[in-house]
Amino acid sequence: MKQGLWNRETVALMTFAALLPLGTFWLWFEGTDMLVRLFMTLLVIAVWQLIFMLARAQSPSFSCLVTALAIAMLAPEELGVFGLTFGISFGVVMGELVFGGWGRNVVNPATVALAFLGFGFPAAPWPVAEVPVAWAAIPAAILGTTLGVMPAALVMTTVLLGAVAASTGILAEPIVQAAGIVLVLLVADPVTSAATTLGRCLHGALYVALVTLFGLGWSGAAPFQIAVAAALLSSLAAPSFDELAMKLWVHHRRRRHGRT
Amino acid sequence: MHRAGAGLTPEFPSPIERLDSIDIITEEAAVQMPGAQTTRVTPLVQEGDLIAKGAAVACLRHAPDICLVAPIAGRVAQISVIPGRRLSEIVLFREDQGGIQRHGTVSSESPAALRRLMQAAGVWPWIRRRPFGGMPAPNEAPAAIVVMAADTRPYAPSPMQALEGREEAFARGLAALGQISRGPVFVCWPRGMPAMQLPTTIPDVRWISCGSRHPQASPGIRIHRDIPAGLDTPVWDMHAEDVAALGDLLETGELPMQRRIRISGAGLREGRSLRTHPGADLRQLTQHIVASGPHILMSGGHLDGRAARWLGQRHRQVTVLPRTAQQQRRHWLIHALTKSATLRPVIPTAALTQSFGAVLPAPALIRALGAGDSEAAMALGALSLLEDDVALADYVLGAGGEIMLQLRSLLDHIQAEYAG
Repeated sequence: MKQGLWNRETVALMTFAALLPLGTFWLWFEGTDMLVRLFMTLLVIAVWQLIFMLARAQSPSFSCLVTALAIAMLAPEELGVFGLTFGISFGVVMGELVFGGWGRNVVNPATVALAFLGFGFPAAPWPVAEVPVAWAAIPAAILGTTLGVMPAALVMTTVLLGAVAASTGILAEPIVQAAGIVLVLLVADPVTSAATTLGRCLHGALYVALVTLFGLGWSGAAPFQIAVAAALLSSLAAPSFDELAMKLWVHHRRRRHGRT
Repeated sequence: MHRAGAGLTPEFPSPIERLDSIDIITEEAAVQMPGAQTTRVTPLVQEGDLIAKGAAVACLRHAPDICLVAPIAGRVAQISVIPGRRLSEIVLFREDQGGIQRHGTVSSESPAALRRLMQAAGVWPWIRRRPFGGMPAPNEAPAAIVVMAADTRPYAPSPMQALEGREEAFARGLAALGQISRGPVFVCWPRGMPAMQLPTTIPDVRWISCGSRHPQASPGIRIHRDIPAGLDTPVWDMHAEDVAALGDLLETGELPMQRRIRISGAGLREGRSLRTHPGADLRQLTQHIVASGPHILMSGGHLDGRAARWLGQRHRQVTVLPRTAQQQRRHWLIHALTKSATLRPVIPTAALTQSFGAVLPAPALIRALGAGDSEAAMALGALSLLEDDVALADYVLGAGGEIMLQLRSLLDHIQAEYAG
């Protein structure tokens, strides 16, 4: 029997392909030092995937490429090998592998790892987004939504509300750039974002609201720190948005047809 | 974009089709239960009997009014019954002197007489009910009947073409269905085609236009969208060509068996469109057009077909695929890296939403199916769906038939639990 191509591994590879413009610009502007960091992140994730494959028969996934890119791009600097390894291990194991691997996780492993590093090493400086790298998030978002691996409703709501917030001046420009990069790397993850159209719109709206709130009220926080915290909190709320959207859908159908 | 509507157009390789329309009556034919159903039956004939085309060869044990009829005139060669007196197949050898079975035409005023005629003449196995699939019970009154005059499955023959010149019979069939149904009769027709000019106006017929992408004209998806089936509100679906055949039966007392089918697939030298009967011998139909080498004959389309020797009761497609060699045993590490024991999780993408025609929250339904959560699946409308309707999602996700199996086991569970 022939089979279609939208299985888990193809979706992971397509997500990675959509993020390639972002990754290329990042390596171009940050220099090849970052290549070492990327490979180290990838190695740590690969070792954990191998351990879980041997111990729990969970097949490894290409999603490690996306996770590694997100962690390498956004993780605080000057952590040292031990700190970085520790943070990645926590995020990947507790955020993804203990749930049964990519596709069964409830939070994005990269988000967990970054939040953990942010809270665990508060003195480590967060990276600063170069402007061209932030612009490269736009082709990544377009590619991802066109291929269908990033939820279009979420991306569009976030972009629309973000544009409104930025044009009224309550969002500073560095925060907008950081929020854009975090949107394509962490928030628009097909697994942990909301799965219904209404849920996705609400998820995007909450993300923008949290970024705005933190941008106004969290003094001394780096732009990436703000965006990662907003991504974590909004993805925790995503299942309740889905629940709400499903309740509304079922209610609407009950009223229209008398049954579901 | 708007005309095609939501959905996908999966592409499968198939050679060019020769454009001739021929009628084939195969030398051997078989009577089987529709779908994968196995039900207790009472054979009404014995091996060696000469029977007419359209004559009853078996009836259901618990509903003796419902008959399975012979698609060709011939001699009964073999009756195979599997344990539990469940019918496997009744094979017939063609002998044209068997004649044709005629039924007394009924006055269209009496729904009960109409039902009896449909059950005795062999129209009943062409009706499929939802929820749970299979033939309806003899006195079941459906909440609606959906007539499919559109088919978006890849390489499906066009029902509108099959209806050409048979508008009167189709209208008669629709009127008859309208009497049996408690609710309206829906007719799904391809968008862009002018609505059919029926010679008479029939009350309570509603027209639904379907786009050209699959699964726009998948019966379950339409039923889910427009008139969801429930435990006490069954919905029937029937192919438009079968409705026209019902119209002919009412007029002449003789049920036409010939139907338009299409043969396609990568295992062929050339495709073919022809007219044949249910239970036709697939080997004879494909005899001169298969490519050399081992191949698999499937009754049904590329998405929902299953390997078979005979054309299914409701099938209008034959698919021939080359048989690929069995894979060598690979190293355990490679196996562990590429395959897992359980089905890999489904990632919600736009492709998944489109494979359900964007009519339902697909990720939630797939999750409910995977977890065997019957309440959530029922709330999402799983009662309107059958295996054929999720076949596209199964193909798109590369699940290898797993989602169809999950839906079937869930439906069986719901049937045992709620509708016992």
